[in-house]
Amino acid sequence: MIEVSNLLKVFEGRGQTVRAVDDVSTAIAKGEVVVIIGPSGSGKSTFLRCLNGLEEFDDGQVIIDGIDLAGSKTNLNAVRREVGMVFQHFNLFPHKTVLENVTLAQRVVRKRKAGEANQKAMALLTKVGIAEKANEYPSRLSGGQQQRVAIARALAMDPKVMLFDEPTSALDPEMVGEVLDVMKQLAREGMTMAVVTHEMGFAREVAQRVLFMDAGRILEDAPPAQFFTAPREPRAQAFLKQVL
Amino acid sequence: MALKHRPATWPWYLLLAAILIGLVAGLWVATKRVHYEWRWERVPQYFAYRAEVPQESPIAGRVSAIQTDGALRRVVVTPADGGAPVVLPVETVQVAVGDTLDREDSVGDNHEWRIGPLTQGLWVTIWISFVSGLVGLLIGLITGLCRISDNPVLRGLAVIYIELIRGTPLLVQIFIFYFFIGTVLNLDRIVAGIGALALFVGAYIAEIIRAGIQSIAKGQTEAARSLGMSAFQTMSYIVLPQAFKRVLPPLAGQFISLIKDSSLVSVIAITDLTKSGREIITSTFATFEIWFTVALLYLVVTSLLSQLLFWLERRFARSD
Repeated sequence: MIEVSNLLKVFEGRGQTVRAVDDVSTAIAKGEVVVIIGPSGSGKSTFLRCLNGLEEFDDGQVIIDGIDLAGSKTNLNAVRREVGMVFQHFNLFPHKTVLENVTLAQRVVRKRKAGEANQKAMALLTKVGIAEKANEYPSRLSGGQQQRVAIARALAMDPKVMLFDEPTSALDPEMVGEVLDVMKQLAREGMTMAVVTHEMGFAREVAQRVLFMDAGRILEDAPPAQFFTAPREPRAQAFLKQVL
Repeated sequence: MALKHRPATWPWYLLLAAILIGLVAGLWVATKRVHYEWRWERVPQYFAYRAEVPQESPIAGRVSAIQTDGALRRVVVTPADGGAPVVLPVETVQVAVGDTLDREDSVGDNHEWRIGPLTQGLWVTIWISFVSGLVGLLIGLITGLCRISDNPVLRGLAVIYIELIRGTPLLVQIFIFYFFIGTVLNLDRIVAGIGALALFVGAYIAEIIRAGIQSIAKGQTEAARSLGMSAFQTMSYIVLPQAFKRVLPPLAGQFISLIKDSSLVSVIAITDLTKSGREIITSTFATFEIWFTVALLYLVVTSLLSQLLFWLERRFARSD
């Protein structure tokens, strides 16, 4: 589903260059749930944002469902509608109601009729347990509720892959569970997922693979059972000691 | 004892009233000193007045009778060739029974309401401001978008336009627009006036819109793009609606300025409110009354506009 080879992303500024993603190669199979962890500044979010072209990478290749992101004939918008993304700060559209947030892209991108889009939206809002807030504005919702709406908004496009960029990091602790539950359900249904998170419990329970990143590189790529019990890399060992 | 001690506010209101009364009194004394004779009773006729309209006879003939119908008189004109008589209602009669009339001879006068020059000028000011505001908004939107474009040509043109307009006086721009561009393109003075105002306000609106767009969090654009929306769709569905709501207050200020600045088009002989006022003064010398009235009319229009935009702002605040 996703193939990444020799990905390079460099940030330049104030006289110094940072290789945020440094020669990363990996692949995510259809139906696989991959959790990316690592200390802050390790480049995991940047890596994730390269996967739907939100971050323009400097070198290497990203192939999504057979389409080369950097290809000269590639329509990035067409690729992005197949790749859902959930952000740390939800990024709901504040001037639209919850329902409109979920229907807008269906209508203008997928060109669905209003009735069809509404039906789809209500089904998804029911699925994430927030249908009764359909006509509220996002500002009336709690963080956990907003993030569940954001997940419904991404799912409304019928994506083949879902990217989660620290979806619970901005939430109050009591709201983390409700968002993780939705994500676990998605994983059970066979969605291909790449998740950047600090929720080790989620990684252990749901992930098929854990990627450990530091300084722009993938240092370890292992099943969670192996990674959490016997990490090979000293930096992974140090990281786990701090967070567990 | 309350935690917060609130001093009484009524002495301050008393002071405010005293200052205002003092100002009015000062004005009164000042006009006394220059021996100005106030003639406010002359002002209303410049809003609307009753005009005398002569009633002409549509045919040649003889006045055969004059009937009285309340305040109205009916003059009956019988044509010489014995055709059907014509009845003409008038308020004041200028003919007598037996008079012979040619076609288009006047038989008397009627009165009807006409709008005066102040009303006409006010109307011209309102519609010139409205049209140039609308065109300026469009120019400002396009220029604002060019200003933040990645294309150096669009960005360069936008910056030059904005700097040229903001760095020169509106009065000079109006003269250049009218005498140079107007002559080259053979423009009507109204078109030249509206064009100059629209270009002027457009430059300021462009900067307001640019700031508004840049104030919208980057995450909004990212969310929209991640859903597959194009740059244009993202701009029109996500960024601009939010930006517009945010820039409404400065935009309102700009439109209110535009109404006041539109008084400058009177220099190219467009009869707006200011020019009308000046014309009335040359014939009446009621200088103080007319200028105070003109100022009041501007104040009424700008206050109404700011109320309207305030209402709009509150409506948009629903989603906050």
